[in-house]
Amino acid sequence: MHPFEYAAPETLPDALALLREHGEDAKVLAGGQSLVPILTYRLAKPRLVVDINALPFGEVTAENGRLRLGALVRHHQLEESETIRRRCPVLADAARLIGNVRVRSLGTVGGSLAHADPAAELPAVMTALDARLTLASAGGQRHVDARDFFTGLLTTALSSEELLVAIDVPAVPAHGWAVEELSRRAGDFAVVAVVALVSVDRQGHVDDARVAFAGVADQPVRARAAEDALRGHEPTTERLGRAATAARAALAPPSDAFVSGEYRRLVAGVLCRRALARAVARALEAR
Amino acid sequence: MADAVATRETLRVVGRAVSRHDARDKVAAATAYAADWALPGMLHAAVLRSPYPSARILKLDTARAVALPGVAVVLTAKDVPRNTLATDVPGQTTTVGPLRATLHVLAEDRVRHQGEPVALVAAETLEQARAAVEAIDVEYERTPGVFTPEAALAPGAPRVHDTGNLLAQWRIARGDVATALARAAVVVEGEYTTQLVDAAYLEPESGVAWIDSDGVITIRLSTQVIEHFRDVAEVLQVPQNRVRVIGTYLGGGFGGKEDVTVEVYLGLLALKTGRPVKMVWTRQESLLARAKRHPYRMRYRTGAAATGEIVAQQIELLGDAGAYAYLSALVLLYSTVTAGGPYRVPNVEVQARVAYTNNPPTSAMRGFGGMQTVFAYESQLDRVARALGMDPVEIRRVNALRRGDSLPVGQVVETHVALPELCEQAWAALGPPTPPRAPHVRVGRGLACNLQPYGRIVWLHDWSSAWVGFEMDGSLVVRCGVPDVGGGQASSLCQIAAEILGVSLERVSVHISDSALTPLAGTTTASRQLYMSGNAVLKASRELREQLLGVAVTMLGADAGALTMADDLVRGPGGRTLALPDLLRQCARAGVPRGHLAVYNAPAGEPVDLATGSGKVFPDYTYGAHAAEVEVDTETGVVRLLRYAAAHDVGRAINPQSVEGQIQGGAVQGLGYGLMEEVVVEDGINLTTSFATYLIPTAADVPDVEPVVVESGEGLGPFNARGIGEPPIGPPAAAVANAIADATGARLTRLPITAERVARALGRLDGEP
Amino acid sequence: MIARMVLNGRPRELDVRPEQTLLEALRDTLGIFDVKEGCGEGVCGVCTVLLDGRPVSSCLVLAPAVRGRAVTTLRGLERDGGLHPLQEAFVRYGAVQCGFCTPGMLLTALAFLEREPRPDRERIRAALEGNLCRCTGYTKIVDAVEAYVRDNGHG
Repeated sequence: MHPFEYAAPETLPDALALLREHGEDAKVLAGGQSLVPILTYRLAKPRLVVDINALPFGEVTAENGRLRLGALVRHHQLEESETIRRRCPVLADAARLIGNVRVRSLGTVGGSLAHADPAAELPAVMTALDARLTLASAGGQRHVDARDFFTGLLTTALSSEELLVAIDVPAVPAHGWAVEELSRRAGDFAVVAVVALVSVDRQGHVDDARVAFAGVADQPVRARAAEDALRGHEPTTERLGRAATAARAALAPPSDAFVSGEYRRLVAGVLCRRALARAVARALEAR
Repeated sequence: MADAVATRETLRVVGRAVSRHDARDKVAAATAYAADWALPGMLHAAVLRSPYPSARILKLDTARAVALPGVAVVLTAKDVPRNTLATDVPGQTTTVGPLRATLHVLAEDRVRHQGEPVALVAAETLEQARAAVEAIDVEYERTPGVFTPEAALAPGAPRVHDTGNLLAQWRIARGDVATALARAAVVVEGEYTTQLVDAAYLEPESGVAWIDSDGVITIRLSTQVIEHFRDVAEVLQVPQNRVRVIGTYLGGGFGGKEDVTVEVYLGLLALKTGRPVKMVWTRQESLLARAKRHPYRMRYRTGAAATGEIVAQQIELLGDAGAYAYLSALVLLYSTVTAGGPYRVPNVEVQARVAYTNNPPTSAMRGFGGMQTVFAYESQLDRVARALGMDPVEIRRVNALRRGDSLPVGQVVETHVALPELCEQAWAALGPPTPPRAPHVRVGRGLACNLQPYGRIVWLHDWSSAWVGFEMDGSLVVRCGVPDVGGGQASSLCQIAAEILGVSLERVSVHISDSALTPLAGTTTASRQLYMSGNAVLKASRELREQLLGVAVTMLGADAGALTMADDLVRGPGGRTLALPDLLRQCARAGVPRGHLAVYNAPAGEPVDLATGSGKVFPDYTYGAHAAEVEVDTETGVVRLLRYAAAHDVGRAINPQSVEGQIQGGAVQGLGYGLMEEVVVEDGINLTTSFATYLIPTAADVPDVEPVVVESGEGLGPFNARGIGEPPIGPPAAAVANAIADATGARLTRLPITAERVARALGRLDGEP
Repeated sequence: MIARMVLNGRPRELDVRPEQTLLEALRDTLGIFDVKEGCGEGVCGVCTVLLDGRPVSSCLVLAPAVRGRAVTTLRGLERDGGLHPLQEAFVRYGAVQCGFCTPGMLLTALAFLEREPRPDRERIRAALEGNLCRCTGYTKIVDAVEAYVRDNGHG
C-alpha cells in the first residue's frame, strides 16, 4: 500500500487534535476490516492513519435501563458478553452473523456503524433500537440518533474531524427479538437482513414493535408502517403477515449485478414475517 | 496398458491409504510454495493491464515510471525479443494443426480484453513497482467490442481478430436424426446456459526467476506444465537448453496454471535486469485476467422410445472463447465428443462452435469442456425420465454404454462401464429420505452421471518418462518431471516404485517437476498423470527390478522366478535373503546400473475426422454417478444441500484416501459451479474481482460428500487405475438441478442456480404488489 | 518503527513500516512462511494467525498494531519439535491436499476448540466456515478435527 504516517494516540483529546489538524487527509483505524483492504487495493491513499485502538472505549456497561457500548467494543464481545445476553440479546444474535470469525475478532461496533455498509447488520440493529450515538470532536461532543446517523450509501453524519465514541441502546429484556438474514453464501454479506423486536402486554396485545431492514436501500430502513400495523393488536399469524406485506410495500430496493431489487423485496417480506413470528414467540415465552 | 492382474492380497503398498509425504510437510508449513522464496538482490514485478475490453493503444509513455525511485526496468512490447507466444497444447512436441493458437506477450497496438497485459515493471519493492505501474501513461482509444458469442457471429460484428470471430467448429453426424426424432415416443427440447467461472486456487500465480551461475535462466514457479521452458526460450530468443523451469508444489491448479502465467514475464525481467525477480499476482489481478472456463449455450433435442431408450440427440453448442484462443479449440473438441453422455445414442448430430469475444479469455479448467455438457445431457435425461414415468436409476441402466458400444464420434468402448452399479450405489448412499422440516420447505433427490476422458487425445502421441534408482544403502530415488497440484501426484509415484521394488515407503524419496533435472513427464492435466507418469514409474521400476534380479540370481543361486523383492530385501527359496546394500555393491562391481530410465508411450492413433470418423479420440474414460438430496425453501428459493454421494469407477485406487479426496474435492468444486460461482462481466468489464464477490463454497455450504469408490479392475493406468482428477467435477450441477426438479417441479436451466433464479422459477417474482 | 511483541512464545522486536501488514512483516521481514497470502482482503483465511489467542487475518492487521500483543503462527503449535496431535490427525485423515489452506485451518480449529472443546460435526463445520479450501471439499478436514476431539479427550 501507499506509504503513510502512523499515529497511535492514547487519549481522546490527542486523537481529536490529529483529526482536526488533518481532516480529510487522515483515516481512522479501529478494527481494520474495512479500512485495510481499501489501503491494500490502493483505493485510498491517506497521508495519516490514526490508530485509535488504545483509546478507552472497549467496554460494555449497563446503567439505568440502558446499555452503553464503547465504540471499540469488538463483535466477539457482543457475542460473548453476559450483560448483553441478559439485557439486549438481539445484539448478540446480530453479531454472530457478521462476516467470519476473524472479522469478529477485530471488527468494532463503531467501525461497522461508521463504515455504514448498506448490507451490514449492526446499522440495522441500532436503527431498530433507536440507539443514540455519541460523536466527539476537538470542539466538543454531540449526540445523534441512529435514524439520523446513516445519511446515504457508505455515508454518515460523522465529519472528517469527528470520532464515534459510544453507542447507547435501551435494555430490552422483555422484548422478544429475532434477526433473519439471507445471503448468497454461508457467512457472507447479507442480501437482506431483518431485525425485529416485539413486546407483548398482559392482555396479549403488542406493546412495542420495532422492525428494521438492511440491504434494501442505501441505509437501514425502519419499517414504521409494519410497526404501526402491529401496535395495540394481537399478534396473530394473519396480522404478522399483513405487517410484513406493509413493510415490503414500502420498499424499492436497488438492483446490482448479483441480485435484483425485485428479489430483495420478496425476501424482505418473507424474512420480516419470519422475524416477527420468532420475536413474538420469544416475547410470549419471556412473559 | 493392461497389467498382469495382481490381486489386492498380494499388494503391500499400492491400494493402501498411506499418508502422503507432502501432507506431513504441509501441516508443518515446511513446504516452500512459489512465493515462499527470496534471493539476495531480488526485485519485485508488477503488470500494467488494460482497463478496457477493446481499444487501440495510441500512446504508451514509460518515462515517468522509469524515473520513479527504486524502478529497475519498465518493459513494453518493443522490449520483448519475440513478442508472440504459442498457446496450443502445452508441452506438445509434435504439431497440432488447427489447435495452434498464439497471442502477444505484451500488447502492441491494441487490447482485446480488460486485463490484457500492456507493460511490465521491476522495482526494489512491490510498492515501488505498483506505484510505477500507475505512472505509466497510456492513451487508449476505445473501439466497439462484442460481448456474447451470438453477437460475435452476427454479420457485421466488430472483429476481435482479423481472421474473423469464429475460432473453431466441430461436427459429428451419425444416423438419421430427423427421422428418429419424428418417430420418438417423447422428444424433449432444452436450452442450457453455463457461466464464466474461475479456477480460484487459493495460491495465486507466483514465481521467482534468476540467472544461474552458468547463465541458465531459472524460473521457480507454481505451474502445471514445466515444458513451458520452451515457450520462455522462444520469447527470449535464447536456446531452449538455457532455460530451466522448476515447478513447486502447487497451492491448487485446476487447469488455471496450465497455460503460461508468470514465467515469461519473470524470464524477461531476469534477463533484462540480471537480477532475481519475483512476481505474485494479487487475487484481484488473478480474477480479472487469468483465463477461465468457457461459458456455453447448449441446445438439445432428445428423442426417446417408450422404453426409455434414447433414439436421437440433436445438439448445438456455442462457447465463448474470450479474446484469445488459448486452448478453446481443444476444449470444444472435448465437449463435442462427450456431448451425448455415457449413453448409447444411435442417431446423433453435434454442431459445436466457439467464438472470440472481448470478454476475459477462456482456456483449460478441470473438466475441460467435458464438464459443461453434463449439465445439459443429464438435465435432458431427467426430463425424459419424468415424461415417461421412469425412475432416474432405471433410465440410466437402460441407456448406459456397455463394452463394445460406440460413442457418437465412433470410438468403441473397450473397457468396462460400471454405470448402472455406480448409479445404484450413489442413490443408495443417500439413505432414507429426509422429511421436510417446515411447510414452506420441499425436499427432493436427483441423480446425474458423466463420462470424462482420461489421458490425452491419442493422436497427440503422449508420453511420459521417469527414472528410478537405488542409493548404495538401499534407499530409493524417483525422479520424474510431474508437477504436483495437491492431488498426491508425487506420492503415488512413490507408492508404485515401493510396491515393485519391495522398498518400504519411508525409504523412497522423490524429486519432481524440474525441466533440467527430472525426466519430462508431460503436463499435470487431462487426468493423465497417474496414467502416464504412473506407468512410466511402473515401467522403470519393473525394468530396474529385472536388471537387479539378474545379479541377485547369482548371489542367491536361484532362478529369477523364485525371487521376490519385499521388506527392503531380496528373498529367495529356502528362506535365504539378500540385503539390498550387498546386492547393490555387487551391481557396482559387475557394472550393472542401479538406476533405470523408462519412457512410457501411450498407445497412439491417427487423427480422426469427427464428423465422418469411426475412430478413437481418447484412450479411455472414467464414469461416475452423483446423487444429491436438497431442500428448497419455496418462499425464498434458497437451496440447501442435505446429503450428497459421489460414485466413480477408478479402475484401481492406488491410494484410496487420495481417491476419496479427489472425489470429494471435485464434487464440491462442481457444487460451487452449480450453485454460486459466477464471474459477472458486463460489456467486457469484470465485476467480480474479489473473493467477496466471486463466491466459492465454504464448509458451511456443503454437507459431507460420501465418496463411493468402485474398482472394476480395468483401466489403462498402473495396476489398472483410471484417472480421477477431473471426473468428479462434472455431475454436481445436474444432480442438484434434478433434485430441485424433483422437489418442486421447477426446472433450472441456467447456472449458477441462485436462490433468485429458483424463486423466479417457482413464480415467486410474478407481479408482486 | 520498532514494534515489540511476542511471537510464538518469544519476545521479538520488529522493525516495521506503518504501511506494512502483519502478513508482510512476517513473510518479508522475518522470513516466516507459515502464513500465506490468498486474497489480500481477509476472506480466504490462509493468512490466519492468532492474536492474543483469537484468529485474525494478518493481511488486515497493520504491523505496528501488534505491539504489546502475542502472535501465534503454525510453528507456535509444535510440541517438543514434533507435530501437534491435530497436525497428525490432518495427515492421517487425508485432510491435506495442496496444503495452502492448512495452516489457517489448523489455527482456526485449535482456537475454536479452546472455547468449545466437544463440538459435533455441524459445529466444526460452522467454525471453519471462514477458511476456504478448494481441494478437499472439507469432509476430511472435518473428519480430522472430529477424530482429534475424540482421541485427545478434550473437555
